[in-house]
Amino acid sequence: MRAPQARTEAGPVSDDAPGGPPPTPSAVPTSPLEPWPDTVRWQSISTDLIWVELLRLVAGVAVVSTVLGVGWALTDSWPFGVALAAVLLFAVWRAVTIVRAVRAWGYAEREDDLLVRHGLLVRRLSIVPYSRMQFVDVSAGPLERAFNLATVQLHTAAAASDARVPGLRPAEASRLRDRLTALGEDRAEGL
Amino acid sequence: MTTRQRLHPLSPALHGAKSLVVVIAGLSWSTLSRVGFGWFVAMVVVLALGASVLAVVSWYNTGYQVVGRELRIHEGLLWRRTRAIPLERLQAVEVVRPLLAQLTGLAELRLEVVGGGKTEAPLAFLSVAEAAALRQRLLALAGRPTAAAAAGGAQAQQPVPAGAETSAPAGRPLHAVRNRDLLISQLLTPQAFLLPFGVAFVATQFLSEGSWSFIAVASTLTAMAGVLLQPVRRVLDDWRFQLARDDDRLRIRNGLLETRVQTVPLHRVQTVGVTWPLLWRFKGWLRLRLEVAGYSAGELDGRNRPDRLLPVGDQPTGEAIVAEVLPGVALSSLPLSPPPTRARWVNPLSRQVLGAGLTEQVFVVRSGLLTRRLTIVPYARFQSVRVVQGPVQRLLGLATVHADTAGGSGAAAVDRDIADAWALAAELTTRSQIARRNS
Repeated sequence: MRAPQARTEAGPVSDDAPGGPPPTPSAVPTSPLEPWPDTVRWQSISTDLIWVELLRLVAGVAVVSTVLGVGWALTDSWPFGVALAAVLLFAVWRAVTIVRAVRAWGYAEREDDLLVRHGLLVRRLSIVPYSRMQFVDVSAGPLERAFNLATVQLHTAAAASDARVPGLRPAEASRLRDRLTALGEDRAEGL
Repeated sequence: MTTRQRLHPLSPALHGAKSLVVVIAGLSWSTLSRVGFGWFVAMVVVLALGASVLAVVSWYNTGYQVVGRELRIHEGLLWRRTRAIPLERLQAVEVVRPLLAQLTGLAELRLEVVGGGKTEAPLAFLSVAEAAALRQRLLALAGRPTAAAAAGGAQAQQPVPAGAETSAPAGRPLHAVRNRDLLISQLLTPQAFLLPFGVAFVATQFLSEGSWSFIAVASTLTAMAGVLLQPVRRVLDDWRFQLARDDDRLRIRNGLLETRVQTVPLHRVQTVGVTWPLLWRFKGWLRLRLEVAGYSAGELDGRNRPDRLLPVGDQPTGEAIVAEVLPGVALSSLPLSPPPTRARWVNPLSRQVLGAGLTEQVFVVRSGLLTRRLTIVPYARFQSVRVVQGPVQRLLGLATVHADTAGGSGAAAVDRDIADAWALAAELTTRSQIARRNS
């Protein structure tokens, strides 16, 4: 939670003063992915998600490269070879980013809202108040189940809200779901 | 009304007539030229008959009933579906009267529900009296427990049905748009400006090369009509636009061919958008729109959403209406601040136009170089706050702050300084919390 005196302050967001209206100097973010480091305790997700994502990538790449490889073998034309090389290069690059992206994914439960951050190329942070929650989904696909993982997704009435936390242990996922629904009912205001 | 009710027996005929238009449009000019007039008529008749039979079958299997605080709509012969609509989630109920329905004394009832992807349940068609009665009943059931009694009392005083469609909306009138202004405003659109060039093109083609056949000219004219459709539609839709306030609801009445009376509870307004189109600027005109929860943005037929707050008006009118919808918001004195100077690398021309600001109760953002847009979102209506930073923005140390609302796209403060963006996100979050607690 931020210091309460900031809430009463009304006025434009100043352009030149970095940090706008900071409540306390320590709340000025130190890095783009670490806003409010002193007030928010980020929890990371299970690194097993790396394997799930890598397997998904391998499956996709295998299908595409098989098609391209067969095409190359049958027609013997060079564009197929180039495409195959491009796909393999992309796969290697993607594998590296998957490792980093999974490590960058994090969520934090604050008193009134859930924070979710993810993404490396495009970095996103979502702040979703518990009271705005319409329903919570817990899902686990076959691959995720094999690695004992689950995904929790929070839905609000806004389609753009983006609060999805993958790669949670089932116990943690159900704990989060129960906590979210409990807090949501507690503070339900709907619209 | 606990028994299951059918729709009006004339409904299938109206649906059939509707599909006739679709069939003719679908067959198009080229089919007419290929098969000849007789066959064309035969195809139209067969298709229209088929559609009418389907309409009768679907009418026979469609029914509605009110059970407790729930409206149930049954439909379908093969794929049976019963849809239960909890009336707590009802956003608005409107009575729509398309041209054909006006001629036959019928009306369509549309229900808008939170979270629904599209207009959830059109009940087409009911008699006007029936539609008005059902609407009042649903609204009374859907109203907040405390407000229900008051709303019911207020509505009981109005002998609504048949006459209500032709009279002015109930309540305190706020504004009526002059039809002359509406016409001029729609002539000041790019489509209307380009029309003479299109006509000249067709005329020269027709005169210089005698080879142009009737079909080619007809097709070109159809295409031009398509381009002109939007301004013409706006004129038809917004003709005799009247805005009134009845307690805590806005009543909007508009339309020339299709008279439309919409009721929007003020506490359901999610965002208010102000637009200054380029060609309207020398007149000093603006347009006001609103977003209401439950009306999806992706709906194809956007005409059915209550989105018009003011089709055209000058600055003082706009200010007065905004102040009415969002008390305490002065359109002319909003504290907007532009993004930092280095944002010109991503917005070379429009940096000065971009802006974001916080007032006592609302978050305001401005964008658009040619067509200037201002979006106003009350803090209490935020669903979530997001900070997004793309790769180019990361190089420049910028980020975009989104405030998401139910329905519509919310507001986005584009390319703020990164530290500023975090502070803004935190500020918006705390302010929306306080606003929600107080409301």
